[in-house]
Amino acid sequence: MKKIISDYELISRFIKGEESCFEQLIHRHKSKVFAYITLYIRDHALAEDIFQDTFLKVIQSVKAGKYSDNGKFLSWVMRIAHNLIIDHFRRVKQMNTISNDNYDSDLFNSIKLSDGNIENELIKRQIHNDVRTMISCLPNDQREVVILRHYADLSFREIAELTGVSINTALGRMRYALINLRKMMEDKKISLTLN
Amino acid sequence: MTPMDLNSTRFVSYHDINVEDTDLIEDAWGFNNDFRDVISFLRMFRIEPEEGLTKKLIDKIRANGR
Repeated sequence: MKKIISDYELISRFIKGEESCFEQLIHRHKSKVFAYITLYIRDHALAEDIFQDTFLKVIQSVKAGKYSDNGKFLSWVMRIAHNLIIDHFRRVKQMNTISNDNYDSDLFNSIKLSDGNIENELIKRQIHNDVRTMISCLPNDQREVVILRHYADLSFREIAELTGVSINTALGRMRYALINLRKMMEDKKISLTLN
Repeated sequence: MTPMDLNSTRFVSYHDINVEDTDLIEDAWGFNNDFRDVISFLRMFRIEPEEGLTKKLIDKIRANGR
């Protein structure tokens, strides 16, 4: 059986000069980081920029010795992504010109229709659009905990640390979020047949 | 009176219980049971960065490393 190398080991080897180790870390975590960013940033090109900046910043910090491992590499990367997203919104607020809402369909228009048939792709787009819209309707604190748990895959302990609240508060927010989402699903008449 | 179902209860050792991908705190709150429909719906949103984007990032990192 192939042994999975831990994040910590990959970082240690990267610091010692094995460049490819960081590439492994990117491949391991890219989907979670990208999903996290795209659920906040609707402009696809901008989300891609923040995705790249996140990993470049991670490298910078690792090389500067600012990362001390406590088994929470992904949670640390998410914190960096989170800060970059906040920086972006601060800049936008200062400029007061661009609305994030203008880019509603950008991400979905960029999904390629090459894999599978077109009908399936359209259904997938519709589902993506519904999920996004519903998540964006949640209050900020509830939205954050849903994104961090279900897309960034952080544990409640990590979410509590990242958002600066107690575990019970994070859990409470999740319960309210799920109740609200179910209500939205009922309003939109979305039902799932579960196995 | 005979004890109920003592022979039919299978003993599960601690090591048989796989909790690797389980957040035990979440499990204790029963979200997965109570909100299976909502969670399944949320999980239908899966997005991958395009291969080109990952490649561009790795190229940048390699260039910076030189």
